[in-house]
Formats: sequence, structure tokens, C-alpha cells
Amino acid sequence: MPSPETGLLPTTSRPALRPWRVPALLPHPAQTLRLLSETLHLLAESTITATLRHWSAVAAFAHDLVRRGRVIPQLTGESAQPVDMWSIPEATAEARWFPVLTGADAAHFRDLAVAMPPACRTGAEEHPSSAVLTDALATFTDAAVRARLTEPLAVRPKTLEDRWLAALTGPDAACPDIPELRRSLNAWREAAGAEGATQVCFRLVEPPAPTPPATPDLDQEEPWWRVELALQPLDDPSLRVPADQIWSGAPIPGLPPRADHELLAGLGRALRLYPALDQALRTAHPTELLLDTAGAFTFLRQAAPLLHAAGFVVQLPRWAGRSKLGLKLTTRTKKQQAATSQGFGLRQLVDFKVELAVGDATITEAELTELARLKVPLVRVRGQWVELDERQLKAALRAVETRREGELTAAEILQHVIQGDDGELPLVEVDADGVLGDLLSGTADRRLTPIPTPPGLDAVLRPYQERGLAWLSFLSELGLGGVLADDMGLGKTVATLSLLVHEKSGRPTLLVCPMSLIGNWQREAARFAPGLRVHVHHGASRDPAKLTDADLVITTYGTAQRDLDTLKQVAWRRVVCDEAQAIKNSGTLQAQAVRSITAETRLALTGTPVENHLAELWSIMEFCNPGLLGSKQRFRTRFQEPIEARQDAQAEQALKRATGPFVLRRLKTDKSIISDLPEKLEVKEWCTLTPEQASLYQAVVDDMMGKIDGSEGIERRGLVLAAMAKLKQVCNHPAHLLKDGSRLAGRSGKLARTEELAAEILAEGEKGLLFTQYSEYGSMLQPYLAQRLDRPVLWLHGGLPKKTRDRLVERFQHDDEPMLFLLSLKAAGVGLNLTAANHVIHLDRWWNPAVEDQATDRAFRIGQRKNVQVRKLICAGTLEERIDEMIERKKALAERVVGTGEDWLTDLSTAELREVFRLGSGAVA
Amino acid sequence: MAWAWWHPGAGAGHRAGVVGVPVGKDGWFEAGKPLKADGLRARTQRGSIGSTWWSRRFIDILERVCDKGRLSRGRAYARTGQVLDLDLAPGLVTARVQGSRREPYTVEIRIEVYGEAVWSMLERVIAEQAVHRARLLAGEMPTEIEELFAAHGIDLFPRDLDLDCSCPDWSRPCKHVSAVLYLLAESFDDDPFLVLAWRGRSKEELLGSMEEPGAPVVEDVPFGERLADFYSPGAGVPRPELRPPPPAGLLLRVHPPPGDLAHRLRPAYEALGGKAGEEEPAELV
Repeated sequence: MPSPETGLLPTTSRPALRPWRVPALLPHPAQTLRLLSETLHLLAESTITATLRHWSAVAAFAHDLVRRGRVIPQLTGESAQPVDMWSIPEATAEARWFPVLTGADAAHFRDLAVAMPPACRTGAEEHPSSAVLTDALATFTDAAVRARLTEPLAVRPKTLEDRWLAALTGPDAACPDIPELRRSLNAWREAAGAEGATQVCFRLVEPPAPTPPATPDLDQEEPWWRVELALQPLDDPSLRVPADQIWSGAPIPGLPPRADHELLAGLGRALRLYPALDQALRTAHPTELLLDTAGAFTFLRQAAPLLHAAGFVVQLPRWAGRSKLGLKLTTRTKKQQAATSQGFGLRQLVDFKVELAVGDATITEAELTELARLKVPLVRVRGQWVELDERQLKAALRAVETRREGELTAAEILQHVIQGDDGELPLVEVDADGVLGDLLSGTADRRLTPIPTPPGLDAVLRPYQERGLAWLSFLSELGLGGVLADDMGLGKTVATLSLLVHEKSGRPTLLVCPMSLIGNWQREAARFAPGLRVHVHHGASRDPAKLTDADLVITTYGTAQRDLDTLKQVAWRRVVCDEAQAIKNSGTLQAQAVRSITAETRLALTGTPVENHLAELWSIMEFCNPGLLGSKQRFRTRFQEPIEARQDAQAEQALKRATGPFVLRRLKTDKSIISDLPEKLEVKEWCTLTPEQASLYQAVVDDMMGKIDGSEGIERRGLVLAAMAKLKQVCNHPAHLLKDGSRLAGRSGKLARTEELAAEILAEGEKGLLFTQYSEYGSMLQPYLAQRLDRPVLWLHGGLPKKTRDRLVERFQHDDEPMLFLLSLKAAGVGLNLTAANHVIHLDRWWNPAVEDQATDRAFRIGQRKNVQVRKLICAGTLEERIDEMIERKKALAERVVGTGEDWLTDLSTAELREVFRLGSGAVA
Repeated sequence: MAWAWWHPGAGAGHRAGVVGVPVGKDGWFEAGKPLKADGLRARTQRGSIGSTWWSRRFIDILERVCDKGRLSRGRAYARTGQVLDLDLAPGLVTARVQGSRREPYTVEIRIEVYGEAVWSMLERVIAEQAVHRARLLAGEMPTEIEELFAAHGIDLFPRDLDLDCSCPDWSRPCKHVSAVLYLLAESFDDDPFLVLAWRGRSKEELLGSMEEPGAPVVEDVPFGERLADFYSPGAGVPRPELRPPPPAGLLLRVHPPPGDLAHRLRPAYEALGGKAGEEEPAELV
């Protein structure tokens, strides 16, 4: 059976196992590792197979283990011959590095073993995946260590041990055997790897709040903190068994039989890192460690990170690491001012006040002085614990000396909030009233007066869309750029069109989008905003003169970069970036080009959750509001690194404050949205053809029409059906028609759109069904999509035995990972229940709505609690669009006229067929 | 009961090590050079032997009672593999040492075994404070154990050792005994429980049997059922959490390596973390 990446189709539908001899290449470990971890992405896509990707994940795992020092050196292989005392011992053994797999690493090992494609473990027999993985991981680990260790551990080795140490670096691992060393190293490895199936947990619990409730002054008594001891199984972190339960000796479900030994051994290891633990272990059955405040601070700052790094579970109070001293900004709007939008303008003056804050509370100068005098690193302020460090205290004392109150413009306040901190003291809270407050809190869309469907928009806006329009229009009028990042399916296109219709600015808006979306924008504009003058600036026939006569100019990222000089000369009302992920990399020429086009206001549309991709977020924000977030470098040190490396909650808060005003992201799952949405949303996605597709299409039409013309009866019917099949294949992909196993990327507009949609679905953490009526197209797509999206793409077709189908369905329904399920329309008949999906994409059209609906119902069934979005991909200007129109026109009659098959098309006259097949002018982007 | 350990190889190794028979000049007293042997070798090939405090205690006893010449020859024996095997049973360590005679000498080191009553008292005392079992289970002899025993009138380490060797040397300890003691000390480094086992209580008796965790094993789906997706992953792999590298050499701190390897390996562990950032593996596109 060919592997799917070859593009070849299996010649048999019922494959069986048989021994097969293949030539093999035994590559050098170091080179293999380099290939898998550094240069894999340079290979042609068709050579990156699923198995190679799996090995690449193993290699990445090895690198990660090595980087974290989870490796241990060993002496392997026993000497076969007794060593002659008087000769130099021969190098019969090897010095090797092995991984140490405990805790999360052991779990990841198991995941990798389960995921291993069968092809990775073939041989004379079926090798167990764990054995194959153990060997491979050890080999990669050894190679990765050697790649990093450039200095030898022993220069001019004298003893046997020296020779072993010397062999731990460099390319040659051979060294003499030293049985005793070998055995004690082995015992060491066992001890290090025997951290068992459990982890010891330390949970720091703050002292109970004093009763009666805290008075507004500072609490000064010495309370006891507790570190509770517990054990938790690796495979179920939700089961946390307190130590006293372990000591009771009763067997605990989920824990190994001698859980008490695991707890003791873990405590014994923890003692080496945290000697203060000793005092807790002076009883027979310790359950907790009591600490004074200074001890608790040491635990927080020193022991906790160390213990965590060594694989122990450490749980800290929620405030740990986040409630620090900071500044609080309060602003109050003044009355009677001229306003531009919804009673608000950026030049408006507001009163402001800056105070010192700790958590939710502000503190006075006197309280601060008292804190400084106490010299304790952990204090309770109004019932809330706060970590104080010397530097912050000094900064705070300096800050209170300069009273900060006065008047600023709204724009300055905005700037201040976004730029944030004052050196040592971060801005931790903002309390602003009025519209400025709404804007700063990121809730403007809910506070502003919704704008009803503007006249001229041929649609009825749903309530959340009215709020979205109010938000878009509000930001535009203030001259601020926005990011509309609503979940896919909530109508970002309509939102943009409604803004243009509502605004009627008279100056053109430039919309930049990927080529695959041009057709869609064109048709959506024509449908929803027929009054807008739309011009597509793309392709050979583009004309600079037409740019200023339109309300909406649509172009692609590529063209925008090429025609930058022309585009810069137009006085744009607005530049819109659709699929703004395209400019996620701020350094690319494309992103620079789009940024350099001046406009009064800007808008970015994206369906991916921007908050998860921080570098991307900066680049998109830089497009919307240049300079507002500061330099990329500053953004990195202030937000990206603290959030990504340390999950710093305070930095996360600050980022939210800085970007919240400009990002509107609503989820389908929001209660306020879900009630506005229909349960099933059907959308047509218009795709364009690539020039290659168009010329193939034309060639097929010419060839087939010639044949059809001179035929009749059964022969003619056959030819018509064949012509239709071929044309639909061209619309799918040139390689689908040619069946030559050629490369897929960049040759089909429909495939490009499929990829974009699929990526969005997966980025939202959801699952989707993809239907095609051609199983050969599915077989081509499966490996391609799996590789491009780096997520599972299951493939169900008629050639699968029942058992396999059931396994696929089972996995799709119950695996939590976002994934796609590719199904052949015919194989996915009745009986399948795929309610885990809330997206359905029909890759090609079956000219019978009933069949499509039946497939759609796989996802849309009783038990489906989410809204389902159905997308039908249609190539504009081809038979797909024409037949879609016919179906739409005859909707009421469709069932009867169309029947169950595609036969009705064969009854069309040759002239009618010519019209149906004709390649329209808008087909090619 | 005996805990046999350190029988190198498959048994063929050390016996075959006796090559040729250069008998001493006087026929029976040992000549300067011992016969070549491939027995147990001390791990530390230079300097002093015994890296933990509890193994040093044995060496201290030895070095107090033995003269310098025998000591250094004993150390050399321990390093060249003259000790063919070594058995530890409650109260008795037996070993065979290859000297200059064809027949290896037998060394016996006796120690007082605590009686049942003493042991049950000691077990109670050890169990009273979890810290002792915790340290023992993590592979070290708690320093306080010695004081704890002493407080109850019991010596953990003997003041004197009852030593015996079948060699003709009159002096005790002879170099054969000291060789064995050096190796014994090294084995105590690796497993402090052996000290207690010599006194009559094995680790298992003291703490109950331990579960040995094996490598994670995964049940594979047979190829026959994976024909349809033979080339595809069987499941998704959740992306591992990207953890910042811990302080360099943390593993060495939590799990001290045998002997004096910690300081020799530290540079390697330091080089693994942090600085090698330029080699970060590229993410797949």
C-alpha cells in the first residue's frame, strides 16, 4: 500500500499484511537529529511524511529533555573478554547519555508511544512502540547532549573513570568497561527514574484571617503559615491525597500500594533542596510544615521554584506572584464638553488621580511608611496578603512624595494606560468613568448605543452585530484603529460592509485580503451592500484611475506590496486587513507595505484568537494604531516574555488593559451571542481559480463540448456526466484531475480557502467535518492537511472495515484535541453520529441539496449543544456557481426537479450546457 | 540469609583472571606481586575511598588500626580488582581476595548483630520521626541515626571490627582485609541500607517491600487493525508545556551520583541548560 504522501492511490481496497523487504539506510544519529530538528522544514512538503513528523516530535522531546538537564550518563555494554591486567584496557563498552523520564515527561513519552504510526515500528515482526521509542529517544538524547557539550569532561584521561568521562563528549563513545562503575551508575539511573507513579505536593496555605474582620489598619501579629503535604498520581492530577490519609495505611484507589514509601522518598529528596522541611518531619506521620511569615516568604521566593523545577507539585495561594505594590489611576469626566462620538472625544479633558495600590485596595502614605518600617516581606493589607520587595518599597516611597493629580486629555490618559508602568511600579488598576471608562475597560461594545441596520444594507443585523457596528463606528470616529476578532461565523464581512454603508464617507476604503477571498468579498458586497461601488484592484487589468471612484477597493496582500506607490497616493478613509494573520510577522515586506499606506483609520479582521499569539498581536496592533503599544522589543520584555515564560498574571492583566480597548472578540459560546444565532448557519464560500486551474478548465470544456456535440442518447449522457466530473475535479485541484501525484500547495484557490477555514476552526479549538464526494480527493487531502495544520485529520472512506471506522468515529467524538474529520460523502451514510463537530465544510457540491443536508446532519443532531456552521465551497464563475444559482432559483421545486442524482443535468440542451460550463470572467483572481 | 551482590560478569570473569602461578620465593609466604585478577574494582581510582559520611566511618576505623603500608597496598588491591567477590549477610561479610597464591584468600569481617528486641526498639525509634525513613528512602543515611542509636546505648558503627583473613600475614588487618573494607565502604555509599542489613535488618524488613516502577508500557493496536491508517499517528500528541530550564545541575542535587562524580559532571550539566539557545530546534511549519 503506498503511503498517502506519495499521492498514489492504493491499488487494493482490502489490504492484508505480508512480509516486505525494503532497502534501508542507517543514518548517523547526530545527522538524523539535525535533520529532524533543524532542517526538516526545508524539505519539499511531499517528503515530510507523518512518520517523519513523528520522529521530529521525538527529536524535539529529546532536545527539551537535554535543555532541562533531564539526562543521566551511563556506561553500557559488558566486556566480553576478561581484561588483561598488563595491557591497556580495550574500549569494549560505551559512555552514553540517557533520558530521565519522570512526571510530565513520562506522560509525554506515553503519548508519543500511543501516537506512533505503525509504519515507524515495522520490522521482521511488529515491534512494541514503547521499545522503539525508548531506543530512539535514547539515541537522540545522546546525540543532543553531544551536540551541546563542546568541552571535554576529562583532558588527558589517566584513570578508567577519566576515560569514561572523556567518552561522554565528542563523537566517540567507546571506552573500557568498569563493571563497578557501570553498576553504580545503573543504580543511580534507577534511583533518578524511580520517582514512581506519584508526585509529592506542597501547598502553601495562608493563615486564617483574624477574627473579628480586619480593621483598616495593618495586621501585625505573627500568624502561622502551613505547607500541606500530599501525594498525587501522575496520571490523575485531580486526585490529591492528603498525607494523613496516606499514613492511615488503607489502600487508596488510584495510588500505588506503598504510597507511604513514595511520599517518604519524595520528602527525602525534597529535603536536599529545602532543608527547612526537616522540622516538619520530626513526627512519625507528618502532614504539614508550619512557617512564620519570613519562612513563608522564603518558601514562596526560593523553595517553591526549586521544588517545582525538580518535579514536585507546588501550589501557592492565588495572590502569589501577582499582588504587588502598584499604581491605581482614577479619572473622572468633566461636564459640559464638546464631544464627537457618543458624547466623547479624545481631546476632552478629564480629572485624574494616581494612588498607590495593593491588590484591590489603595493605601495611604502613612500606611506605606508603616509597611516600610515593619521590614517584613509579606504583609497583610486589609485582609489581603502582599509580597513586598525592597526595590518596590523604595519606588513607592518616592512615588508618594510627588502628589499626582490634575487634568489630562482623554488621549493622554489612554496613552498612559497603554504605556503602563512607572519603572518599578506597574499600573495595577484603572478606575475611569463615562465613555472613557467603557473604552478603557474593553466593554465599549456593550455600553454604546447599538446602531440599527443602516438603510442601504440588504440584511438585518442581529443584536450583537448592532453592538459591533456601534463599536466599529465609535473607534473610527475617534480615529482609532480596531481589531475585529469575532469567532468565525459571526459575520466579520457583514460587519465591515455595514460600517461602510453606515458611514457613507465618500472616501474609499482599501480592503486587503488573501487572493482566495477576493471572490467572496465581491459577492458578499454585491449581495449585502448593493449600493457600494466596489472595485477589484488585482490582476493584469488593474487601473489606478479607478481607485478613487469606488467606495470599496479590494486588493490582495501581494498586489498591495507591488503597487504600493500607487496605493499610497490615494487619500483613503480606511485600510482594512482581512485575515490579518497575513501581517502577523511585522518584519515581512507585506506587513511593512500595508502599514505604510496612510489612512484616517484602520481595521484588522481576524478569526484566530489573537490573545494566544502575542508576537502576532503586536504586529496587528502596530498596523491598527502605529506606535501605541511601544516598540516590539519593549512589548516583548514587558508582556510577551513574562506571560509566555512565567504565566505572569499581572503582565497578562496589563496587556489586556493595553489592548482591550481596541480588540473586539466575541465567541459563539457567549450567552449573549448564542441566543442571537440560528442553530444552523449556512454560508457559501466563494473561491477563485488559479490561472492553472482556469486553463485546465477551459481545455476540458473545449474538449468535452466537442465530443458532446456529436453524440446522443446514452453516450451523450455519459459524456455530460464525465465532463461535469472533470470540471468539478479541476475546481477542486489540478492534481485531482491529472491524478499524477504532483504537489498540492499553491495550485488551487479552493484548497487555499479550505486550509484557511480549517486553520481557523482548529485555532478556535473546535472540530470540523469535511465532506467530499471523491475519495481520491480525500486521500490526497488527508496527508496534506495533517501536515499543514499539524493536527489530526481523520479520513473515513468506503474502503475501511467497520472496526476501523468505529475507531475513527470514537476518537473524533472523544479526543479533546481539535481535529478534522474528512469523510467521503458516500461512505458517511446514515448511522454516523459526529456531534463533536460544530463545523461542516462541503468541499465540492453534490447537485442535490438533500444529500448535502443528510451529510450535514451528521454534526447537527440531537445532542448537539453548539451552533453548527455549514460552509459550501463554490468556485466563482464556473459550473459550480451556475448550478448553485439554478438550485437557488428552483429551491421550492428542487426536490422534485432535481431528484436524487445529477441526472437532470444531462437533459440540458447543448447550448444550455455551454452556458453552464462557461468559464466566467470573474473566475480567476 | 545472605545478600549476595557484586558477582561480576557471568561467573567466568574473575576466575579466569588467575593467569599463571608465580609462586612466592619462599614457597608459601606471599611474594610482592599478586596474581592478576579481574575482580571488583574500587570506583575511585585516586585519592581516598568512600564519599559519604557513613562509609567514611568504616574507613576511619580501618585507618586507625592499620599501618600505612598495608593500607596503601589494600587500596591498590581494591583498585586493581584483586577482590574477587564479596557477600554481605547479617553480622558477616565474606570475600575472596586474589593474592600471590593460586588459591584466593578468604576474608571475613564480623559485626555484632542486634537482637530482635533491640531491632524492634530501633525500628520504633526510627519510625518516630519521619525524617529518618525519608532520608533512607531517598538513599542516604541520616546523620542523626548514629546519635539516635547511641542515645539508646547502641553503636551503629563498631568501635572495632572482628577481622579475619586466611593469608599468612600476622598483622591484622592485612592488606586483603583493608581492600575488602574499602570496597565495602563504597557499597555503603550506594546503599545506606546495607549498613543496617549487616546489623541484621534488610531494607525490605525495615520498610516493607517496594514497588519497582518499570518503563511506561503502551498497549499497541495490532497492525492488522491499523491497515487503513498504517502511516498515520494513532492519536494526537498534546503539546508538552514549555518549561523553563531549572537551575543547572538540579538533577545532581536531587539525586547525587555515585562517588565523587557530582563535581566532575557538573560542568556538563551546566553546559546543557541556558546558553545553548542558538540550537533551539525549529518548530515545524
